[in-house]
Amino acid sequence: MDWNFIGEIAPTILEGLWITLSLFAWSMLFSTILGLMLALMRLSQIAPLRWFSIGFGWFFRGVPLLLLLFYAFFALPELGDTFLLSPFRAAVLGLSLWTAAYQSEAFRSGIIAVDSGQFEAAEALGMTKLHSMRKIVLPQAARIIIPPFMGNAINTMKQTSLATVITVPEMTLLAQRIISNEFKAVEPLFTLALIYLALTSVLVIAQFGLERTFRLKV
Amino acid sequence: MGDWDWGVIERSWPLLRDATWVSIQLFFASLVLATALGLLLALMRLSNSRPLRWISAIYVWIFRGLPALIILFFAFFWLGRELDLTPFQAAVLGLGVSSAAYKAEIIRAGLMAVDDGQYEAAEALGFTKAHAMRRIILPQGVRVMIPTYMSNATLLFKSTSLAAVIGLTELTGRSRQLANSTFKPIEILTAAGVIYLVLTSFLVISQGLLERRFRLKS
Repeated sequence: MDWNFIGEIAPTILEGLWITLSLFAWSMLFSTILGLMLALMRLSQIAPLRWFSIGFGWFFRGVPLLLLLFYAFFALPELGDTFLLSPFRAAVLGLSLWTAAYQSEAFRSGIIAVDSGQFEAAEALGMTKLHSMRKIVLPQAARIIIPPFMGNAINTMKQTSLATVITVPEMTLLAQRIISNEFKAVEPLFTLALIYLALTSVLVIAQFGLERTFRLKV
Repeated sequence: MGDWDWGVIERSWPLLRDATWVSIQLFFASLVLATALGLLLALMRLSNSRPLRWISAIYVWIFRGLPALIILFFAFFWLGRELDLTPFQAAVLGLGVSSAAYKAEIIRAGLMAVDDGQYEAAEALGFTKAHAMRRIILPQGVRVMIPTYMSNATLLFKSTSLAAVIGLTELTGRSRQLANSTFKPIEILTAAGVIYLVLTSFLVISQGLLERRFRLKS
């Protein structure tokens, strides 16, 4: 392995770090909101809302993310110019919907793990459903939600690499460009691997931190 | 939006069908590799030898921390060229070693769920460690592993789509090509999505059957 070459290409690959991180941040933001909504819909009394949530989860967990990205980038524009998205936006759309399907399961399992006596007690105290969800149930569910939520976040961080196939200039695309221009694969891939490993390791450490913060104090 | 064109799906069907077959072969080949390697890693992690435990832990950290796409690139651009592998072989290798890290954790959790008394009883009956593992512990651990193993297998099936990026014409790669050549991305990509949904739903159903088959008869 040519270490000098790594020194030369590392800055180029790192130029894509910002885009990788933005892809991750936007997708996490949208998927968290959507995932929570889907979980609440799944638990609601209204049957069509439940069906929608189940159908959404079945669909987005049943097809590969790569196909979703192709769909967002190549097929959606056929429906009209409003759907003509930039590569970055198409990637955020695909990643958000895909992650939301997984996050909704994380939220739902956390919410149903909270003892039903807590709902009943909140009702007995005259709290509205919305109020008790926000003040009683979700804070207790947070503890249970953290591990699967962070596991999904780590997956999403790794899956941002797929945005390369719809020409988002994130790190993987920049590394691929070096591979095809310089005819050297090991150095750019090794550099790329180190950066991703650092990013996912930071998230694992953040998970430990969060789990400790939300631990029950007895 | 133009009218939905069934004809293009009909004309593309032979190519889509062959590509689906490639995806299925890729799935089974990498599942076998991932399971064998995952079992080996799980046994190493549970062994008394400290170096074996370390190797297994580091393997899992690295391969779970990297995007599967990057591992696939390593397999294709680096090992593939060194060892003269076909894209299919490189894809099996990349997907297999990447998935093995998850399989190792699933198998380890299953083995650890078996009561300690079972090990001790086997030892008391004069079983060697290997014999006890094969005859007493593994059969009981399998029951615990099925749900996580199967949902991980479903993830692996969807990950086979990544092979499109290294030029394999499996289902996603082929439908991307067809979307381009027919100018009907909506029809083609939707057809591919339906095929994926059918196959992943089939895996979910077989998970239910396996769980029933391995349930304790009491």
